[in-house]
This record gives sequence, structure tokens and C-alpha cells, in this order.
Amino acid sequence: MVLEREILPYFDWLLGHEGAWGALPRFFIIAAVLGLLALVVGYVISAARYGLLRGGDVVYRTVANSFRELSETSPRRVWALARLAIKESRRRRVEVALIVFVIILAFANWFLSSDNQDPAKLYISFVLTATTYLVLGIALLLSAFSLPGDFKTKTIYTVVTKPVRAVEIILGRIIGFSIVGTVLLVIMAVCSYVFVTRSLDHTHEVEKGLTHAYDSSGNIKGHTGRTLLNSHHRHDVELNVDKNGIARSNYGHSHEIETRGDRQVVGQAEGFMQARRPQWGKLTFLDRQGLAKERGINVGSEWTYRSYIEGNTQAAAIWTFDNIDRSLDTDGKGLPIGLIVRVFRTHKGVIGQQISGGIQLRNPETNLRSDLIPFGALDNKIEEMRIKPNQTDTEGVERNLYDDFVTPSGQLEIRIQCLERGQYFGFAQPDCYLRLPNASPLLNIIKVYSSIWVQMVIVTSIGVAASALLSGPVAMLLTVSFILLGFFREFFVGIAAGSDYAAFGVPKVYGGGPVESLVRIVTQKNVISPLDPSFGASLVQGIDSVLQLFMLSVAQLLPDFSAFSTVNFAAYGFAVPAERVGQDLTVCLGYVVGMAVIGYFLLRTREVAK
Amino acid sequence: MSEDIVVQTRALSKVYRDFWGRQKVRALKALDLEIHRGEVFGLLGPNGSGKTTTIKLILGLLFPTEGEAVVFGKRATDVSKNERIGYLPEESYLYRFLNAEETLDFYARLFDMSSDTRQERIDALIKQVGLDTARKRQLQEYSKGMTRRIGLAQALINDPDLILLDEPTSGLDPIGTREMKDMILRLKGEGKTIVMCSHLLADVQDVCDRIAILHQGELKELGRVDTLLTVADVTQIRARGLSGDCQNEIRDVIGRHQGELLEIGNPTTTLEELFLSIVRDSEARPGRRAKVESADASAD
Repeated sequence: MVLEREILPYFDWLLGHEGAWGALPRFFIIAAVLGLLALVVGYVISAARYGLLRGGDVVYRTVANSFRELSETSPRRVWALARLAIKESRRRRVEVALIVFVIILAFANWFLSSDNQDPAKLYISFVLTATTYLVLGIALLLSAFSLPGDFKTKTIYTVVTKPVRAVEIILGRIIGFSIVGTVLLVIMAVCSYVFVTRSLDHTHEVEKGLTHAYDSSGNIKGHTGRTLLNSHHRHDVELNVDKNGIARSNYGHSHEIETRGDRQVVGQAEGFMQARRPQWGKLTFLDRQGLAKERGINVGSEWTYRSYIEGNTQAAAIWTFDNIDRSLDTDGKGLPIGLIVRVFRTHKGVIGQQISGGIQLRNPETNLRSDLIPFGALDNKIEEMRIKPNQTDTEGVERNLYDDFVTPSGQLEIRIQCLERGQYFGFAQPDCYLRLPNASPLLNIIKVYSSIWVQMVIVTSIGVAASALLSGPVAMLLTVSFILLGFFREFFVGIAAGSDYAAFGVPKVYGGGPVESLVRIVTQKNVISPLDPSFGASLVQGIDSVLQLFMLSVAQLLPDFSAFSTVNFAAYGFAVPAERVGQDLTVCLGYVVGMAVIGYFLLRTREVAK
Repeated sequence: MSEDIVVQTRALSKVYRDFWGRQKVRALKALDLEIHRGEVFGLLGPNGSGKTTTIKLILGLLFPTEGEAVVFGKRATDVSKNERIGYLPEESYLYRFLNAEETLDFYARLFDMSSDTRQERIDALIKQVGLDTARKRQLQEYSKGMTRRIGLAQALINDPDLILLDEPTSGLDPIGTREMKDMILRLKGEGKTIVMCSHLLADVQDVCDRIAILHQGELKELGRVDTLLTVADVTQIRARGLSGDCQNEIRDVIGRHQGELLEIGNPTTTLEELFLSIVRDSEARPGRRAKVESADASAD
């Protein structure tokens, strides 16, 4: 699973850590700057309309009234307006979205590849992505056209002539449409569950001719074999003396096997939906000479999320884990770890065959190292293994994992090397983890849907706030712009930041600002070479620097939709961390509050009957 | 501002501008008005005279270009004044997907009313405006008259002290018009202040205590209806049972005193009165038809 940004502990994220600004201070700074800007713009417009003194008076009264009116917000009125929004949604036949969703699911099997190595990942990511786009679309349409509709039909006259505060009109709609979206989301979740479980459901038959397995005394200790091919895969079978056992994990699932009479009955597929709880460590690298490096080497991939170690050299990826003790080994079978390896081959070898790698344990304090533990790596497959408590060190002396390789403070180093010449292993920090006991898959899927819910509420908030001033189509366009820019926020910030990209923690974007990019497109010039020095080039870059400043300001308001998505957590079978859910919900609250205040001022300073 | 004054406008002006701030029309010019507690005040004028603009400025739906409107001692833009106001717009701008009960429930909730009070008010108002049998029907199925009635009910949901009615009889049949006028008088009797604007002079004359006549955004006349309609230099004599000789004698007396006789004859009632009496009679005696002279009879 890809995790490009580290998930910070909630309060570090909220209040800041290691000199970085937290989300809360950033929120207040943005609110203060926006407020100041709104005051200046408001005064300029009022002064132009009413004169310098009266304009000032109007601005002062608007601001003074706003504090009073915001404090007078009535939950009963907000709820009344929310109920109205729900009824309006029903009148606008919002349930059509469900019909569309069911149609999509009905025909999805035509297009989803059933011979995929990890079908659960494919199906889960498909239903979650479809749900996300549909729910966001509905939120967009409902929110952007509601208030303008009231202005068009003048029904707003009978509302604002009641003691309704403008913020209640905004909040009522946000809450109402969010409730509608939540109901849709729940129904879609149930439909998705039925679709995924029914699509992935299958069983096998055990192939005839089981092989006996013997213990050291020559007694039969069990049976091995394999299943017949079904749903494009088969499983290795492990049975005990009574011929009960399992079909081992393949294609992301396993089966229970029970013997009835003389026939083995293979049960339903299990483990498609997991919620692995990883404990991540800190990743560093050694280069081919064994020197410490922050990153491995680049094998030519533009995406620099992972870096690589060369096979059959001293290059290694080293994870340092904290808080390790025996409690992690719940059943005494060893320390559970998970490993995802990207394999980069410089020669073809045998495709599908594993590439050899080795795991070595090291005590960071005593420098004691274990003997190499071999493993075979397949590209991008999650390998789950146990590191047994009894190990031998490099001298061949028997050692205990917890007593000898783990420091008294609970630290352990796990070093991974590629053992084949000319082959490379690629890693990012989340690719190796200690496996804590799995979380509840149901709770995990609720967390995943909560991230879709957060996106829906943010879109609703932006749509409603925009529609307080703009007509329906224009409000929709503005909200769509927010969504699109939000999904590509990193790229947008990269363009806006220009050469200061590192300060904003985004990758460099080549090709200059918007105008320079346009010039390059028109003149068919590549994005790397600098423009020839000329007055025109200076002018273009001068305009860009102004635009980039504006873009940077806009970027501060953009919701990072790509970061909200937790679809990959569910698809790869990882539990969404509670910190992540807390952060998403806090961001959502920030947008609702911010957009409600913006919407309040837009509605309050607008002539309703104009 | 005296407690007796419910609405006050001071040099209230409104200029409508286009997107670029250029003046399109000057809808209201320096209007000074005081509307007192318990009176029925009429804003009169032809289309485009500024009546509806005045109402909208009083409600805070529009912002004044100059001057100000004060309602219950608060600026018109102060939302809290709406606690004591009821407003019936020119058209009933209501949510057509709601039924009568849902409509009134929605507006009652906007006044933060408790559940019991809400239910009580809704039942009373639905009966009062005669929509008891249609209370569950969606407003999109309502006739124009029914829509006006539910519109009036929503305006009265909070038992307001000040009621603003924009063309209250517009679209109503004569019976509906009379019921609306009766309702206005009943509300006046309850001590409410009513401001209505209309271009139907008879309606205004029937119910208003005072009127303001606007034309092209300017106040042209303001005062009590009875005072304004009194013609000081004309004397009206009404009597019953006078013979022809007696009428001639009266003519002579007027002539002897250098008076000019303008008219003497039998008075006519208003068309509204005639219509209402026919309807009442018809309801009292169903099946009775009017006598129509046939073409043959007239030929004879």
C-alpha cells in the first residue's frame, strides 16, 4: 500500500511539531487573512456606493451584527431548514443516483478482470471509487442549485422575512444535504458489500491424490495437496491427520476444509476483507558500499516514492522499530511482520519466479546481528511472515529475538537485502511493518466510508457557500474547480511554488508558471530548457510570479481530496488509523465552519429582492 | 422614536443600478413616513410607483441607497425585528412540494416555536383561512385563491404585531376579496398594525385608515382616507320617500341661495355589493334563476 505522507499523531498534526505549523494555527492564520481581505474589499465597495463615511459605518455594522447574529443561531431553525433541504432533495429525485449506482454494479463484472492476482483489491477499489464520484456529484448538484433556486422562485422572500439568520440558511442546507448524502452513502455501502461478497464468493474441490506428510517417527502427521482450478486460481492444501485443514492463502484469501465421509468440502473464501494494523518503523538505507544513505537509488522511475537497493551488494533497506516486546507475539509463533517488495529486474529471468532476499535482525545498541533469514519476493505482493523467537547470530550462537536483538528500550533493526545480482528491491517506509492484531473489518470499512463522507460534506459546504452569491451554474463551476484543483492540489501547489517547491513539501513541476507553460505549448518548447533571455521572457515570468502568488493563496483554501481518500487502505486490507479519521473529521469541521461564515457574509450583504 | 410609531422611514430612497453601478431607475425618492400602532395603512399608486420597493425596504429585502427605515425601533436590516412581523408577498412564494400543514410547520419552526404552540397555531390558521379539507394536499395542486390563503396563514403564523400585505387581494375572486378585507379589519380589531399596498382603490378605501399615494417614487399625498375623500365645497343630502314636488322645491331652494345643483336622483350601490348580495341570495335559495328577457318577448 502506498502511503506518501506520514500520518502524524493527532495533536502533533493539530498544534504543530518540530517547528512545523499545525492545522489549527494555519486555520486561524488563513481565517485572519481572509477576514482582513474581506474587510478591505467590503469597505472599498461600500465606500464606492455610499461614500467614505457611510461606507465605513455600513462595514462596521455588518461586522458588529455578524457576531450577534452568529451567537443567536438557533438549532431548531437550522433543523427546520435542514428538513426542508431533505424534502427538496427528494423532490429533485435524488434517488436516481442509487439507480445509476445499481446499474453500474450490474454491469461491472463485464469489465472487472476476474483473473486478477488480488481480486478483492480490484473490486473494493472499484466500488469505493464509483461511490465516491457518484456521491460527490450528487453533493455538487444539490448544493450548487438549491439557494439559487430559492432566489429564482422568490421563496427566499418568505424565509428571510422570518427571524432567520443567514448562517442558519447556510448551515441548514449543509446539514440537510449532508444527511441526504449520508443516507445514499449507507445504501451504496450495503449494495457494494453485497456486490463484492457475491462477486468474490467461490469454492473449490480438492484434487484427488493427497500426499501424506510424516513426522520424525514415521507416523502420518497430515496430508498435503492442492485444489482444482476455479476462478482462475488454485490453493495448496494442508490437512491434519483427520483430513481437516485449510486451503492456503492465494489470490488474497484462504478456505477452511472439512472432511465429510470420504469427501473434502472446501468452505467459503475467507480473508478478502482484512484490516491489518501495521506498526511502522523508520527507514534508512545502505548503499552498495555499505554506507548509510537517506534513500536508495533511482532506477529511472519518475515516481520517487520508492527507492531501490541493488542485489548481491552491501546495499540494504533498514527499518528501526520501537516498542517491541513479547506481547506482539500473541501465539508464540514469532514476531509477525509484513513486507511489500517492488522488484525491478535488469534481466528477465523467469517471470513469476520469486527473487531471493534476506532478512537480518540487528540490535542497534550492541550491534549483534542475526544470521540471514531467506525469503522469496514477488513484485508488489504483501508477504506476511513470522520472525521466530529462536535465532542464531552471525557466529552461529543460538540467540533469543527479544532478549538479544531487541534493546531494553524496545528497539529492533530489520535489514533487508536483495541477494540476486542485477536485480533490485524497491522500498518506501510503509513497506515493512510489524503486524498488530487485526482490527475489525466492519469498523475499518466504516472508517473508509467516513473519508468519502468527509469529501461529500466539504463539497456540499463549498457548493452552498458559493451559491449564496452566485447563480446555480456558476456556483457549480466554482465548486467543480475546487474539486478538480483539490484532487490535483500537489501539482497545483508545485506550479504555484515554482523554484520554492521544497519549502511547500511538493515535487518540482517543470515548465514554469501558467503563462510560461502556455508559451511553451504554443512554441512547442520542452519543459526543461529555460526560456531564452528576452524582454518577452521576463514579461511572461513577471506575470507568472503575480499569478503564482494568487495561486498559492488559493491553494491554502483548497481541500486536498487526493489525501482524503482511504480507498487504498480498504483495497489493500489495511486498517485506517484512528489519527487519520480524526484529522479528516477535523478538516471537515474546519471547512463547514469556514464555509458557513463565508456563506453568511455573502448572503447577508446581498440584496435578496434585487 | 415614539412607542406608538411602528414603522418610520426617513428620507428613504432607492436607486436600482446595473452590474457596473450605473443608475437604472430611481424607484423611491426621499420618502418620509410614520405608521402608527393599530392602524391600517395603505400605500397607493400605479404600477412602478415604488409601493413594493417601500415594502421591501421596510422588510430589509432591499438596502436603501439613502435614508433609512426603522421598524419597532430597529433598523430594517436587523433580522430580530422579524419576530413581530408577518409578510404576505404579491405572489405566494411558497415551497410547492410541501402541503399546507408542512408549510405552516416549516415557517412556525423558523420562529423557534415549541411543538405544542406550533400545532395549535397551525390548526387554528388552517381553519381560519378555510383550508381544512386541503391541509394534506401539496401546494402545487392549489388554486390561486387557495395559495393566497395559505400565504396569508404563513404571514400570521407568529401572531405578528405588524403585517405587511403586498397586493393582498390580487388574484382573488370577489368573495375572496371580501374575506381578505374582513380579515384585515378583524386583525385591526385585534390591535395589529397593517401596511398594505395596492392599486385597487376600492380595496384601499374599504379598509385603510390612512393612505400614502406614491407616483414615480415620490410621495404625493398622505392622510386619513375619510379626510382626503371629503369634498369640502360639496354638500350631500340623502333622504328617503321624497315626492317629485318635494324634489322640485329643493331645487328651487338651492337656486334661491345661488347654489349649483350637481345631481339629484336615485343612488347606485357598488358592483361589489351587488355581486355579493346575489351570491348570498343564491346560497340562501339554491336553484333560483335570474329572469332573462327573451328575444321574442322584446320583439313583442
